[in-house]
Amino acid sequence: MSQSPFTWRAGGCHCGGVRFEVALPQVVEAQSCNCSMCAKTGFVHIIVPQSRFRVTKGAERLAEYTFNTRVAKHLFCAECGVKAFYRPRSNPDGWSVNARCLDTTEGLDLRIEAFDGQNWEANAAGLAHLSQEPA
Amino acid sequence: MTELVGHCHCGAIRVELTTAMPAAELPLRACQCSFCRRHGALTTSDPAGRLHIEATPGSANRYRFGLGVTDFLLCAECGVYVAATMEGEAGLTAVLNVPGVALAGFDGRTPSLMIYDDETPEQRIARRKARWMPAVFVETQPSA
Repeated sequence: MSQSPFTWRAGGCHCGGVRFEVALPQVVEAQSCNCSMCAKTGFVHIIVPQSRFRVTKGAERLAEYTFNTRVAKHLFCAECGVKAFYRPRSNPDGWSVNARCLDTTEGLDLRIEAFDGQNWEANAAGLAHLSQEPA
Repeated sequence: MTELVGHCHCGAIRVELTTAMPAAELPLRACQCSFCRRHGALTTSDPAGRLHIEATPGSANRYRFGLGVTDFLLCAECGVYVAATMEGEAGLTAVLNVPGVALAGFDGRTPSLMIYDDETPEQRIARRKARWMPAVFVETQPSA
C-alpha cells in the first residue's frame, strides 16, 4: 500500500470551543483574499475537498453569516468570533480552512498567494479544482 | 481634526475615530498574541484622539480572556473583531482593529510586530494607559 501524501493537522478558534482537523500535503497553496469579508476577518484560505476536513468539537457553537448570493456559509465561533473554517462560494462542495487557525505550521511549506476577491467573478473558477475529490 | 469611519461587515457595529493625525502617521500594530493572530488583527489608537463605537442593540458580543479586564468587541451577526475596550480611572479606553472596519488610509502599510508575552499584568495595563484612546460605546439603531 502506498503511503498517504496527507497528514491530519489540528486547529481551532481562540477560546477552544471549536476544533477541527484537516488533511494537508507538505506543500500547501493558500490564498490571501482582498474581498470585503476576507479582509475584515484576515482569513487565509486553505481549500480542501470535503473528505479532508472534519469538525472535531463545537459544531453547535458555530454561528453562520451569509450575504450577497448567500452561497458561502461564513461560520465563526459564537464565543470568540474566530472564523476557523467555512463553506466558500468558490468551492461549496469543500471547505476553506483558515491557515491562521492551525495549531502549528511546523513542517508545512505554506505558500500564500494573493487572490483578487474584489474581482471574484473573474477569478473564482481558478480555485474550483482545490475541492475536487480524487477520482 | 479628521474623522475616520468604518464598520464591521454587516454594519451592525460602526466606528468613528476622531484624530488630529493623518491616517498615515497613526500606528499600525500586529499583535502576535493567539487572539489577534487568528483574527488577523492590526490595531491603531491615538491617545489624543477619540473613538466612538455605535452598535445596533444586542449586536456586540464581549469576549474576555487573559487578564479578564478587556472586552474584545465582536459582531454577533458577522463575527468581525472591531475593537478592544478597557474600563479604567480615565474612563473607557480602546484600540481599533483597522482591517475589521476597513478604515481608510492604511493600505500598503507594513504593520509593526508586537510581542507582549513577557509583560506583567501591571506593565500591560500601564502600556494600554499610555497608548489606548478615550472611547465611547453606545447602543443605537443605524442612522438613515
